[in-house]
Amino acid sequence: MTYTILGRCAKTGRLGIGIATFSITVGRYAHCAKAMTGVTISQAFANENNNQRALRLLAEGFSADAVLAQLQANDEFFTYRQIGVIDRTGRAAAYTGPGTRGWSGHVAGENHIATGNGLVGQHVVEAIAQGFLAEPDADLEHRLLMGIEAGRDAGGQGTREVHKAERSSALLVYSRNAYPDIDLRVDLHETAVEELRRVWIEYKKYEAYYRQRGEHPRGAMSQEVFMATLQAADG
Amino acid sequence: MTFSLIGRCARTGRLGLGITTFSLAVGGRCEGVAANVGVCKTQAFPNRTNDPLGIKLMAEGYVPAKVMAMFAANDSEHDYRQIAIMDREGRIAAHTGGGCRGWAGHKEGADCVAFGNGLVGPQVLDGMIQGFMTRPEDALEYRLMRAIEGGRDAGGQGTADEHRPERSAAIKVVDRLDYPEVDVRVDVHPTAVAELRRVLEEFKLYEAFYRGRGKDPSKAIPQDEFAKQLEAKRRRA
Repeated sequence: MTYTILGRCAKTGRLGIGIATFSITVGRYAHCAKAMTGVTISQAFANENNNQRALRLLAEGFSADAVLAQLQANDEFFTYRQIGVIDRTGRAAAYTGPGTRGWSGHVAGENHIATGNGLVGQHVVEAIAQGFLAEPDADLEHRLLMGIEAGRDAGGQGTREVHKAERSSALLVYSRNAYPDIDLRVDLHETAVEELRRVWIEYKKYEAYYRQRGEHPRGAMSQEVFMATLQAADG
Repeated sequence: MTFSLIGRCARTGRLGLGITTFSLAVGGRCEGVAANVGVCKTQAFPNRTNDPLGIKLMAEGYVPAKVMAMFAANDSEHDYRQIAIMDREGRIAAHTGGGCRGWAGHKEGADCVAFGNGLVGPQVLDGMIQGFMTRPEDALEYRLMRAIEGGRDAGGQGTADEHRPERSAAIKVVDRLDYPEVDVRVDVHPTAVAELRRVLEEFKLYEAFYRGRGKDPSKAIPQDEFAKQLEAKRRRA
């Protein structure tokens, strides 16, 4: 049980993922994006080796379709996997194996893949894609989060009778650097999508400050002083 | 304000980082943990390019002392950085620049290096190393957890007059595979170290189940069923 949005910003080339699931600490599996290279996820019964292998293949120049074909050829349990790959040109390839449980499926288009398993139905992945596509000019991290929240609001994981809680979530975006622009996680929580929104709102206040104090340490204001300016602005 | 420990398990060769700080989402700034290569962490006023660069240099065979010298030559603000590096053989290099604020320093122990800034004093580093050494036979993630707790219990961040809370924390451990074996995080929390202990303990209950169901899905039980078995075990305990 998991639902995920993989996305690429057509304007900037930034790449990222938003993911939420019943399993705990899902961010451990989500080291799955690389700047100017691509973004991928293997979920359901995840082959944990796939994400790094897919990123290496993308870095060598293989297209999203070719990467997916190579993952298939390399895995005796491929039919239990659910996989998405977006390459640096925005081409998307997705697969949902018949061995995944509950309602499983994906919606793939240029620059995005909405994918999930153990969901209440097809409308969840459709809602995720719509959420992602709603504001194409917004920052990628915002669009990914909108996708995940739309998936939750459409019913998320479970069956018609029983809702399955999101216990962990993650949001990851790469731009041009070897390190991510945004890397936020909720590892163990009753309502991990709501908590991810809270973490994101808090982090966004500090994002530019954290970047600047590393780039320009001389005369950087202390975090206490910065927080006082935040409070004054809220005030 | 941050305190961290890089450690290595001498028995298995596993490498890891435990870190906590006042800043939010610190685990999202820990790219320098690579299996069979080493660990590199830059903090205080961090240069974000250092850690990925340090991993590349160690993968090419450069020793930590040489990597540190290359960092110094590559960064006009090296004096504001606090950096610790350990390679897969356990060699260590550490640097606490004069521009770091509050009490700042680093200290090597057996198979580990503790480093921090904005701390109440050197006793925090001693507390971390003691925590790490409490049960050297344990899995590295538990030793890193005890190191962070040891630093917290020795006073952690702040001054003699004012304690500064830990608002985020993370543990990463790598073994032979090219993704982390253990990777637990707390991004925004008033007592992030205590919360990280809760996340780690819960993760350890699921760890083998998660790994097993990916390796052979044809034999995997549903997570609901696994969670029910866990609950039954808890009730019995």
